[in-house]
Amino acid sequence: MRQAGAYSGLVSASMSGRMGPHSLPLARIKKIMKKSGDDVKMISGEAPIVFSKACELFIQELTKRSWMVTMQGKRRTLHKEDVASAVIATDIFDFLVNLVSDESSNDNLAETPSEEMETFRS
Amino acid sequence: MAAEAPASPGGGSHDSGDQSPRSNVREQDRYLPIANISRIMKKALPANGKIAKDAKETVQECVSEFISFITSEASDKCQREKRKTINGDDLLWAMATLGFEDYIDPLKIYLTRYREGDTKGSAKGGDSSAKKDVQPGHNPQANKCFPF
Repeated sequence: MRQAGAYSGLVSASMSGRMGPHSLPLARIKKIMKKSGDDVKMISGEAPIVFSKACELFIQELTKRSWMVTMQGKRRTLHKEDVASAVIATDIFDFLVNLVSDESSNDNLAETPSEEMETFRS
Repeated sequence: MAAEAPASPGGGSHDSGDQSPRSNVREQDRYLPIANISRIMKKALPANGKIAKDAKETVQECVSEFISFITSEASDKCQREKRKTINGDDLLWAMATLGFEDYIDPLKIYLTRYREGDTKGSAKGGDSSAKKDVQPGHNPQANKCFPF
């Protein structure tokens, strides 16, 4: 509220209009959209805004489902294996299966450690 | 991609190496900021819940995959209908098609709110105090719509 008031007002207004209510940066979303394919050339101004909210919903759903796995293991820290389990257990996350299983196969050479443990127990 | 991942998202911890600045640039193109992802994840957990760094990085990758997945479907639709610009409705359609129909209603509300806020903001012109009143984040009704 000093001399720069007019400018800071503009800045805060544009921030609240563009970035403020959106918890994710729109420019970055747009970049990722453009990388989706060669056909993606023109993107309406609203599209990244839709995604900023959609990604929030997506992250929350994925996190909640992953946390359920963490809880089932009676743990308090969510790990990437929990995310992987949640992805595998949820139909709409099928498109992520390769991503999460690629990652875990990098870490443990055995692709199915849980099955091995089950056979070991029985 | 996986080989580079451990070095870059953490940022700054390793001073050595010419590769990390480069891969950081790539990270910025490919992923949303991990701090934002982390903040949204924490909101979904109880107060005593913790999140390992590897989980954040995995979710970060998943979000980019989600954006690409939806965008590709929307882009196909645009091509079929011989349109050049992907708009918000194309994305909503793609999400509904790919199993994310639960997101549609919250997104429509969000978009309506954004449009209202946006038009009011531009109609009022340069009056910055009026814009502050319009700011959606402070609207108690908005909080009712979004319990997140």
